[in-house]
Amino acid sequence: MSVILAATVAAPSALSGGANVIAVGVLLAEFGMFRQALLRDQVRLYAAQSSLISALAIVVAATRHLPDLYVLAFLSFALKAVIVPVVLRRLLRGIGAIGGDPRWSDIAGSHALSVANAVLVAIAVAAFGFFTVAALGIRSPVLPATALSVSVAVILVAFVLMIVRRDVVSQAIGFLSLENGVSLTALVVAAGLPLILEMAFLFDLLVAVVVFGLLIRVHHGRAESMSTADLTSLRG
Amino acid sequence: MHAVMILILALPLATAVICLRAPLAAARTLTALTGVASFGLVLALVPTTAHGDIAYLRLLRVDAVSAVFLLATGFLYGAIAVYSIGYLSGGHGGGAPTRYSRRFWVGLNLFAWAMLVAPMMSNLALLWVAVEITTVVSALLVAIEDSDGAAEAAWKYVLLASAGLGLALLATIFAYYAGTHVLGQSYDLGFTQLLAVAGRLPHAVVELAFVLAVLGYGTKMGLVPVHTWLPDAHSEAPTPVSALLSGSLLAISFYAILRYYQVAAAALGSTFPRNVLLAFGIASLLLAALYLFGQRDIKRLLAYSSVEHMGILAIGVSFGAPAALAGVFLHVLAHAAAKGSAFMGAGVLVRKLGTKRIASIRGGLDLLPWSGPLFLAAIFALGAMPPFGLFRSEFEIVAGGLRSGRYAAAAFLIIAVTVAFFGLAASASRMLMLPSPSAAQTVPVPEPESEPVPVAAGAAPPERNAPPAPAAAGPTAERVVRVVRGEPSAWMVAPVAAGMLALLLLGLHPPADLTDLFTRAVALLNPGAR
Amino acid sequence: MASTTVTGQPEWEERPVISESMSPALPVPVVQLLQVVTVAAAAPGVSGVISRVEARMQGRTGPRVLQPYFDLAKLFRKEALAPEGSSWVFLAAPLGAMVCYLTVPLLIPVLTTFGLPLGYMGDILGGGFILSLASFLVATAALDTGSPYAQLGASRAKTFGAITEPVVLFVVFTVALVTGTDLPYALAATVRSSAGQIIRPAHLLAAAALFMVILYETGRIPVETHTGTNEFGMIEEARPFEHSGPYFALLKWGSAMKQLILFTILLNVFVAPWGLAATPRIGPVALAIAALIGKAALLGVVVAVIDNSFAKLRLFKITEFAAGAFLLAVLGVLTLYLGGG
Repeated sequence: MSVILAATVAAPSALSGGANVIAVGVLLAEFGMFRQALLRDQVRLYAAQSSLISALAIVVAATRHLPDLYVLAFLSFALKAVIVPVVLRRLLRGIGAIGGDPRWSDIAGSHALSVANAVLVAIAVAAFGFFTVAALGIRSPVLPATALSVSVAVILVAFVLMIVRRDVVSQAIGFLSLENGVSLTALVVAAGLPLILEMAFLFDLLVAVVVFGLLIRVHHGRAESMSTADLTSLRG
Repeated sequence: MHAVMILILALPLATAVICLRAPLAAARTLTALTGVASFGLVLALVPTTAHGDIAYLRLLRVDAVSAVFLLATGFLYGAIAVYSIGYLSGGHGGGAPTRYSRRFWVGLNLFAWAMLVAPMMSNLALLWVAVEITTVVSALLVAIEDSDGAAEAAWKYVLLASAGLGLALLATIFAYYAGTHVLGQSYDLGFTQLLAVAGRLPHAVVELAFVLAVLGYGTKMGLVPVHTWLPDAHSEAPTPVSALLSGSLLAISFYAILRYYQVAAAALGSTFPRNVLLAFGIASLLLAALYLFGQRDIKRLLAYSSVEHMGILAIGVSFGAPAALAGVFLHVLAHAAAKGSAFMGAGVLVRKLGTKRIASIRGGLDLLPWSGPLFLAAIFALGAMPPFGLFRSEFEIVAGGLRSGRYAAAAFLIIAVTVAFFGLAASASRMLMLPSPSAAQTVPVPEPESEPVPVAAGAAPPERNAPPAPAAAGPTAERVVRVVRGEPSAWMVAPVAAGMLALLLLGLHPPADLTDLFTRAVALLNPGAR
Repeated sequence: MASTTVTGQPEWEERPVISESMSPALPVPVVQLLQVVTVAAAAPGVSGVISRVEARMQGRTGPRVLQPYFDLAKLFRKEALAPEGSSWVFLAAPLGAMVCYLTVPLLIPVLTTFGLPLGYMGDILGGGFILSLASFLVATAALDTGSPYAQLGASRAKTFGAITEPVVLFVVFTVALVTGTDLPYALAATVRSSAGQIIRPAHLLAAAALFMVILYETGRIPVETHTGTNEFGMIEEARPFEHSGPYFALLKWGSAMKQLILFTILLNVFVAPWGLAATPRIGPVALAIAALIGKAALLGVVVAVIDNSFAKLRLFKITEFAAGAFLLAVLGVLTLYLGGG
């Protein structure tokens, strides 16, 4: 512990500080999703989170001279900040959640816990993530260690988000933010991953989004609502 | 051999594309042919892989371990493709049978294709992509039935499985990171590459990657406590899809875990990975064995049996002795055959009696001259009765366990398997051996329309496919129906018979090529084993 | 908690450089007294600035900036009443709170970059405790009155305080972890030392969390409406409800001083620790006073802008606000302690 204390008195460079701030911004966006009551706001927040990750990728590309990352940043921005939100919004409009029948409203389903309680639980979970990463002592070659802790925290908080939410679209967005956390981790520890593999992951994410959309439509068609509170018939 | 590999990759995909447009009769035949042909092609790979690895194009790689899982998938693909011909003639899809059938055929081929691709991938990242594709395709297949239960099961499945695969992706990334210490910043996650330098990988990272991989891929494999989607998805999917899910998809996820186990064992020594797998295996086996009692739905019963067998697989790997590992590989094959046969037989029962509820299925042996006994045999096989293959494999696993000194775990395995057998056999014997409904007895059938169902005999079954929709149809109507002895379809009998024959073969006298394959696979998994 | 050398002076302290320059040196105790006097005298002015700016933004002319002084003068001349059944606590609390608010400026960097003699009485944690003590005294007096509105306000303040007090604590921990000491002077020095210190996420998060706590403690949107009495929404405003005359004046002055003290902590420790006097000479000290008032006024403008831009949160949503502040504070500590950021 004294080792850590000595390290904190010395400030990190301004650049790594900036990178850390962007990473923390991603985590704050994740927490922000607890608060968003409207589905379209959640989609927007997800787009903002994806943009932050692309920005971080550009920072890493510029400082560590990995030109592949420019392409990756552009692709992931195009896919996750533009295409996926468009797909989701079109889905919501198609079911009438946006600008349509007021019966199927844009409001996200009720939570299992209240927002403040959920945030407190998520803080505890994120703290667990921070402690685990610190205990493992993994050092990243391209970004300060804080970024790794933050990315693991994003993943864990995304799990809490998926558990606490009780409607299909919020759960799907929770899953997408989980994937964001994983790609942030990839940026921190696996920045040199060949571009072709990263593109395979991105393409796969798109396929997953399409399938999620189809299943949301199926669910909505049967239940005439987005709520999962009644999905309790299969038990035992 | 390269041509064989390319054919295995290309054929199911081509069939899937063709089925998008072709007339349904052609789609049926083509799928069945492709299924059987794929099995043949995989069989052709066995002799070569029993003595060496085949690599091609930097992307594809088949070694003995992959060949075992390819065999499992190939066999089931062929069997299910034939079975589905009879299954779909039973009239599914409610108001749009053509659309249902088309989606079914396309989905089936795509699903089988994805499951054949996964063991052939040479690096961990592409392996993950392949498993993810199997998830999305199978989720769509689970949702294909037009019922509330199917929609619910599909949503739970896709959410949980995708979240688990998110963890598996994290594991892949950490594995990559472990490799960067030795292989440099940028390398493709080639499996052989990683294995070659395994001794120099940092321990903490590899431990983390392995645990995450077991958790992530274990979600898809059905390890407790992340198995909760499994009973729902397997019971609500159409029967052929359930058979593929239980027999092949769980095995493919196990394959992914095995690859991580290989790297972890080489990097960390075998104690840590084996303990992790033992913990999960015991939890799965225990929970499944207990849950098998008191099941009310026949397919849910079989789903929990799958969880049980996956637990046995995990425990088998954790034993580590060569005998146990050989047993594990045999178990993969035998379980595929047995579970496939059981699901197929269950499908016939459901079709004949019009309900999935165990309490309502009676007199299977009387009504179904072929499927009845075959289903009974499949249940016995699942309970590890000799002379079927599963007995041999579990025997080898226990022998390996005793040899490596894990007496308590081996004893637990035997007890749990016995308990599970009781659970399975209790329900199965009730379904098969209690007297069949006679003329005076009523069979509760939810009645969608008021038009009477024609009583028919022989191979042309009445339309008995009534999806549970009690709320819409009003109170469950009971009608006096004569259920007549006879098989619904010959297409649904032959594959089950083939499965049981395969089990007999595996149990009594596994072919020499197969044993060579197992030996090599064990050697790959356990270099320098004791 | 500061590490000391053999001579007893803290190691981090910047030694005051006494050189031959124009302005005469002030004795250090005078400077310390000046800190208290500045805070006491400038506090109502800062409130006045905020009200004026807010009114201007709404298109009204608004009260004059010095209006709070006149209000205080008027109140001191009025008669004091006490509710029937209240005890000595009711009368003693405003005095006690005032004493606390006069003590805290001794401990924090108001005018100087170096620690003053009495400044070692307590560290930032001590300062936080004394502020809480003042708040507790006022709340107790409110409970003593038996009036429903006062009690409502007091109980709400303490309930939400259950989340906001730990936030202050975590902010203090951030200070402690960054500098290795508990003294606010050290953090100011650290922040001034390099650009990297300003941009690190722990620093920004702690500053943001403290700002949210300030909004809560001074009773601003989105927690309460400062202008006008909204009985059902009052938290801070309700506590002095029953006091009158000089006691009310003391309470109003005290809450204005609390506002300025919190602003000072945020500005001189976290956000903008510039303009402080490095030597105890008249010139730099005068400059420091002007800088402080200027910075506080700027921050007041920011608060006024927030007042006019957002709506007040419904009462049960204030827990979300407080949880958000708690989140920022905890993240600040976590990124610092476990990430080196």
